[in-house]
Amino acid sequence: MDAAAPSLSPSRAAGFARGVWPLLAAAGFGLAMQFWVGPAAGPFPTTVMMQVGIAIILAVSLNIVNGFTGQFSIGHAGFMAVGGYVAATCTFYGGMIQWESPGRYGGFLGLGEWLMVAGSLLGGGFAAGLGYVVGLPSLRLRGDYLAIVTLGFGEIVRVLLQRTGKQLFVKADLGTDDFKVWPPPLGGAQGFKELPTYTNMFWVWLFAAITIFAAYRIKTSSTGRAFLSIREDEIAARAMGIDIAKYKVRAFVVAAFFAGVAGGLYGHSGVNMAPGDAGFQRSFEFVIMVVLGGMGSISGVTLAAIVLGALPELLRNPNALGAAWPYALGAVVLGYAASKLLRKRWMTTLGTFLLVGGSVALGLAIFGKIGVWMKADLSQYRMVLYSLLLILVMIFRPKGLFGVHEVWDFFRSREATPPPKLEAGGMTP
Amino acid sequence: MITRSLLDARGIGISFGGLKAVQDFTLRIPVGGLYGLIGPNGAGKTTAFNLLTGVYQTQTGTASLDGRRIDGLKPHEIAEAGLSRTFQNIRLFGELSVLDNVLIACHVRGRHSLVQTLRRSGHHVAQERASIIKARHLLSIFGLNRYEHEQAKALAYGDQRRLEICRAMATEPKLLLLDEPAAGMNPQEKKDLAASIRSIRNDFGLTILLLEHDMGLVMDTCERITVLDHGETIAQGTPPEVQSNPKVIEAYLGEVEDEPPQPTQPPPGAAACPS
Repeated sequence: MDAAAPSLSPSRAAGFARGVWPLLAAAGFGLAMQFWVGPAAGPFPTTVMMQVGIAIILAVSLNIVNGFTGQFSIGHAGFMAVGGYVAATCTFYGGMIQWESPGRYGGFLGLGEWLMVAGSLLGGGFAAGLGYVVGLPSLRLRGDYLAIVTLGFGEIVRVLLQRTGKQLFVKADLGTDDFKVWPPPLGGAQGFKELPTYTNMFWVWLFAAITIFAAYRIKTSSTGRAFLSIREDEIAARAMGIDIAKYKVRAFVVAAFFAGVAGGLYGHSGVNMAPGDAGFQRSFEFVIMVVLGGMGSISGVTLAAIVLGALPELLRNPNALGAAWPYALGAVVLGYAASKLLRKRWMTTLGTFLLVGGSVALGLAIFGKIGVWMKADLSQYRMVLYSLLLILVMIFRPKGLFGVHEVWDFFRSREATPPPKLEAGGMTP
Repeated sequence: MITRSLLDARGIGISFGGLKAVQDFTLRIPVGGLYGLIGPNGAGKTTAFNLLTGVYQTQTGTASLDGRRIDGLKPHEIAEAGLSRTFQNIRLFGELSVLDNVLIACHVRGRHSLVQTLRRSGHHVAQERASIIKARHLLSIFGLNRYEHEQAKALAYGDQRRLEICRAMATEPKLLLLDEPAAGMNPQEKKDLAASIRSIRNDFGLTILLLEHDMGLVMDTCERITVLDHGETIAQGTPPEVQSNPKVIEAYLGEVEDEPPQPTQPPPGAAACPS
């Protein structure tokens, strides 16, 4: 019971290492993606993988609010857009002032990229500040009502971005009457264009890994358990001493910060930032990832972000998918055999995963075969297939792919629990 | 026994619109006391509990715990001040593991900033370990440690009740409020519960206020009993005093006519009252 037992405190060096190793691991992962996976996969898959990485940051951070804390937010794209616009302002106008041209400056890990990272972090800070403001209504509202407030936030951001002024492309214009502080020259309804492309595999996957580490560390800490208790039962949480007001707002702030960073990365990935990026259609993409992955499951949401991020691209050429049918069929057979015939729990679990994944792949392959057989281009119907997949998951897994569990929970054997041991006298168990 | 009062509620009350749910509720509990609060359905027992724990704000009167004013504080501040409770209709964190349920309650005695959490500072690690040791210890006392990784909602009913008490104790309270802990229990479970409650008081030196419907349990375990009816305190005293109090008999059994009431002491758990 004694909290201050000295043996519990680790050494300072160990503490420092614990703080730093996730950053190093994330950087290592980013470098591997940049120099190994990216070149091996080719340019188009690289672009898809970057979008997937950004989607992971957004989905995993939204999961902190929607999944852990149980506050239904559908304004996440608003935070992303705020972060993106702030970061883009830094690189575009910063680059214009400093290096005469708003285009790309410096190579890999060069000054320009660092400016993008600094801008993204600043954007994350801005978004976090707004997250605080949006989090405040969550103290009084819940469920549908809070959802409407967050929806309103996203729409406000979208409309404000539409009302921004004309973008300036030449440094000389900054001194003229064309330059106004309000409305800021961020391109208005046409979007913020010709942003330098600084985002690469390294930065995307570095931040994606950091986001996952952060979400995991939050979830397995006293802060995360406070979040979860609010989701489970607010009244009981308060009675157990959880300051639910503080923790609800904190969840919004953390989630908004990562969304802002993701916005910065998104803005520099070779797209035009447009006010529409703040709209609720974008927000819903991330909500779907969270719901599909399982509210609160970091691994489930990550997987959902990967699948939903990559699936529309895979379905662009469905006829080619037909070639995968032998592998898919193999996975189904193997998975079925493993889940039915083997005794070990982890094998059964693995078999089930194989079975489910194989079935999906087989379905896609059959879809592709039908396309070949009908000599038709089925890629136009890819959004139908995508939606059908969502419906099927919700019918068979109403709590998302993994429910509230993490992937590794399914592999942990029940026998790991220590045997019952009774201590202290007098109490009837 | 020490006579310093731990809980000192003076004339607290609340009305919802025209309905005076609880009025002029006065209760002093000395350190180490095991007190009961009873009353028929709708008497305002749970409302009185909610006033003490800050779920409702008191409109009149004052309450203090161990010399510190607690009326007007938020529920989590009251929990921090040392008052913890269980719920009549079990309110566990159902989807979370049994261990997590108890760890959440440890939060109030050991928390850390977000930055400490993210970089897993030494302070954080030490506190997490201490919390887990404390939680496991409490679980083993209640015989729940074998279910550590089970979801709380998967436990048997009696175990859920015990887990709630276990969770409440993890906040390291000075005063523990038990809201109908025997509801839905069979006679044997009630008997075990009575023994548990007594041993919590004796072994942990906790002060307990037991809100109960089941007369047997209250008469058997409590030292002093307060009886509420229609939001008013109608009697206060030792179990025999309360049992022979005509107002109490009237409240429980209706108007007394010619048949004399029977203030017999039923065996614990023999369920004198409908629950």
